[in-house]
Amino acid sequence: MTSKNKEFSIKFWITRKVIENPLKSILFPLVFTSIFGLGMTFIVVDDDMLAMLPDNMSSKLSWDAVQNEFGSTESIFIAFGNKDKTIFNKSSFSDLWKLTNALESRAEIEKVTSIANLPKIENVDDFLEVHSLQPSEELDDIQINEIKKYVYNNQSIRARSISKDGDYFNIMVQPNDSIAHNVVRDIVVEIGDSLLSKNYEIYYGGTAYITGSVPGMIKNDISKLLGVGLVLMSLILLVNIRDLFAVGMIFSVIIQSLIVMAGLMGWVVYLTGSENFYFTIINSSMPIILLTIANSDGVHVVTKFFKEMRHNGNIKKSIAKSIDTLFVPIFLTSVTTIAAFLALYFAPINQLMGYGICLSAGILYAFILSLTFLPAAMSLKRWDLNSKAISQNGYLENIISKFGKLVISKPKSILVVGMIIMFIGTAGLSALKVDVNIANFFKEGTDFRNSIDFIDQEMTGTMDVRIRVEASIKDPNTLNEMQEMQKLLNSNPKVTTSYSIVDVVKQMHRIFMDDNPEFEIVPKDEKKVSNLLMMYSISGDQDDLNTIVDYNYKVGLITALSRVMSTEEIIQFVKKIEDQAYNFKHISNTSITGMAIVVRDLIYLVIESSIISIFSSIILICLITSIFFKNFSWGLLSIVPLVTAVLINFGFMGIAGIHLSHVTALLSSVIIGVGVDFSIHYIYQYRRLLKDKVRNGISNKVINEVGYPIVLDAASNMSFGALLFSTFIPVQYVGGLMVFAMFSTAFGTLTLLAASVELLKTSYSR
Amino acid sequence: MIRLFVICSIQFFLLINNLSAQTGYELAKKLDNKDKPQNMTSRISMTLTNAKNKSRKNVMISKTANQSQKQMIWVLEPKSDRGLSFLKIEREDRKTEMRIWLPAFNKIRRINANRRSNSFMGSDLSYEDMMIRSLDDNTYSRLEDDHVDGEECYVLEVMPKPGITTSYSKHRTWVSKENLQIMQEASYDKKSKLKKIKNFHYASVNNYEIISKIHVKDLQKKHKTDIYFDQVEVDKEMNEKIFQEKSLKRLPLY
Repeated sequence: MTSKNKEFSIKFWITRKVIENPLKSILFPLVFTSIFGLGMTFIVVDDDMLAMLPDNMSSKLSWDAVQNEFGSTESIFIAFGNKDKTIFNKSSFSDLWKLTNALESRAEIEKVTSIANLPKIENVDDFLEVHSLQPSEELDDIQINEIKKYVYNNQSIRARSISKDGDYFNIMVQPNDSIAHNVVRDIVVEIGDSLLSKNYEIYYGGTAYITGSVPGMIKNDISKLLGVGLVLMSLILLVNIRDLFAVGMIFSVIIQSLIVMAGLMGWVVYLTGSENFYFTIINSSMPIILLTIANSDGVHVVTKFFKEMRHNGNIKKSIAKSIDTLFVPIFLTSVTTIAAFLALYFAPINQLMGYGICLSAGILYAFILSLTFLPAAMSLKRWDLNSKAISQNGYLENIISKFGKLVISKPKSILVVGMIIMFIGTAGLSALKVDVNIANFFKEGTDFRNSIDFIDQEMTGTMDVRIRVEASIKDPNTLNEMQEMQKLLNSNPKVTTSYSIVDVVKQMHRIFMDDNPEFEIVPKDEKKVSNLLMMYSISGDQDDLNTIVDYNYKVGLITALSRVMSTEEIIQFVKKIEDQAYNFKHISNTSITGMAIVVRDLIYLVIESSIISIFSSIILICLITSIFFKNFSWGLLSIVPLVTAVLINFGFMGIAGIHLSHVTALLSSVIIGVGVDFSIHYIYQYRRLLKDKVRNGISNKVINEVGYPIVLDAASNMSFGALLFSTFIPVQYVGGLMVFAMFSTAFGTLTLLAASVELLKTSYSR
Repeated sequence: MIRLFVICSIQFFLLINNLSAQTGYELAKKLDNKDKPQNMTSRISMTLTNAKNKSRKNVMISKTANQSQKQMIWVLEPKSDRGLSFLKIEREDRKTEMRIWLPAFNKIRRINANRRSNSFMGSDLSYEDMMIRSLDDNTYSRLEDDHVDGEECYVLEVMPKPGITTSYSKHRTWVSKENLQIMQEASYDKKSKLKKIKNFHYASVNNYEIISKIHVKDLQKKHKTDIYFDQVEVDKEMNEKIFQEKSLKRLPLY
């Protein structure tokens, strides 16, 4: 059997099944959807940004090593106090004590660091003694003054535990590594608010707070705005299709596809435990992408059905004709889009594999439903041939008809204008910047942004750099090199403080040597360092040091806390650190990690993933369409709207200063997913008419046939412009860019592609 | 470490049939009266293991005299602490003198005896754990008998009397019925939360049952210490003059 016969036999079989037994064609998908839908209960939401990094990436390896040796480095900061009122008073210390103890009592929290539990190293009878800096909940004025003096004499402690003006306490909460940040975040906020909200201003911040808050907030925000978008979409469809049942059925296709996609995600996690199928911040774009693609399939089927009903008035004939006309283009658009998303398998971000597979399953299911469930449902209704939906053209349909004539009358001018726009877009590409720092996701002035900004500006900052060093930590040469690194870190104006075992050794040395400031240096003899550490272990708690040095004194950790840095600042800063580390003579092995490094690596990954995704999908689409249409030039033409839209969109982002992030990068997927649909529908229809020996006004006829569903699809997808009202900056961009992407893909198909095909039609007609 | 020696390495000869009828105090008194070596020399290997299962090891020489009232410890390993030494003298007036020699700084420093909860060399043993627990400083009561490692034990609850300086609220001690050896002890902090559990193992040296291993687990810090005693010599000739400050600087040949 030839492929053509196969195609006909499948088409015929589907058409026969749908027409002869529509109820089966409706019930079977519903049962299938329900079974897959059960998988949604197994979906695992993951807020770990690190999960995006490939396991073999050096910063991920260092990150894992640091977490393993020193505990979680992602912290939540709580700042409380009242502006311009000193925090050094009895009630504030009492509240700090209560807060610290309440947080320490929770198993979800690994470590709490505040003045209430910091050690105080002092010289008692010529011996190094380690006490509690705050000895009890209730303090007298003398004790408070002693604490104040100690804190102000120790810059590192001061920077970490109080605000610049001494009017706020800072508490650092280290979550238990095995607990999700959103869980710890809720606990910390609940405890903090319940103890402090009456008497103090409270601010929360830190990477664990942000990563614990953002995915949930984005999910809620997107869910709410998606609802608005869906309502708008249904209104646009309703105004143009003018039939509630038909619009309802398009939505049924969309919703069922979404259920199967999400269900598959859950089932895979349940059956394999694969973390690549966890729902992360990246996956929040999946519903929007599938919505646009499934909507496209449904709109084409419904508009075609109405067009046929208008001509022949027979439901079964119209259903048969719709499936006959649309089976191949919808199949082809689905195959190409699936190929594009499966190409994400090669992207370096782990979750993109699960993302591509689940989205592909959703697209495949939307294709099946559009050609089985949807026509079967349409066939069950008794249609009124005099209804406006059937008897009259829609508003858009009339506009498109006029627009088509204009395009075909001036193809060269259209092509030139299109090329100019494309070149402007290409020029804008060089200005495109990448930013994946989720602290920058929030609009200024919002409560959340104010809170994290306060921590960022007034306290220790939001970002961190961790430098893990492997060497004999007691060796003064090692300590001196670590000290040099700290000097470099502190020279960055964005760094608020840095700390390591060097600070403790220097402090102990000074205190042991009669508190003589001249001895606040690294001792020259390794045995002195060892003796000091031994003294510390006698009266202090070894756990005090476990965030800066490992148990065997073979691995040390230098930590720098900093305010939010721009992408360029991070890259330059990390480069300097790497250069300095390269010159170490006594430290055998150095690795750099921390949120700043993760952000830098994610930037590279987002760029790499976007490039791989865009190029591989465009090449795959070109190949598939070339093979299918048995002509390479048709393959090239099919990617014209995609390439144009991608260039214009990313160029526009560059010109408008919109940053490429792991959220806005989804635009390329939307463009490719939808753009290829439009061009394939156009080319397939053009070739069909060519086969039918239509020669005169062929382009105009094609625009009349597919222009309306393309524009209706694009217009309804533009309803996701509702995302413009998001509280998250990248989501706002997605909303705006969705409108732009829909416009550019539809416009690209109906102008650039149409004009190109029109100009080349003599060669194709032969 | 002396206290451990005292409590745990006591030699017991009297095996009487009516022990189960005795009071807590009587039992404690029997333990206190057990015969113990006058002096002892041993090599101590101490392995400290933290919550993440990372370990480090110290090797020391210990000399005790006056039934462990006097003790000197010299560190052999790790190399960076070699020569560091420790002197403890418990006096009749309950005042304990503790000194440490820091060879790198060439300084001898007194350790404040009031800070009994301080750790010995970063281990899970505090100085208080190493001191002799005076019989009259505590009250004793018998709890229901129990088993440790399959061995039938008396269980003794030891409560410090008011006014006694201690970092514990109480101890529970499991004493073997067979030979009156302390098998296990649980110590509770001031908030009555279980803090430490110590397990003891013994070896026979010159007719004394001397502790060969102590396993201490700090349940709050999830930290543990394993102490092994070997090359043990008891009641050999020993010049008691070595138990003074100047001896701290002299690492003995061993």
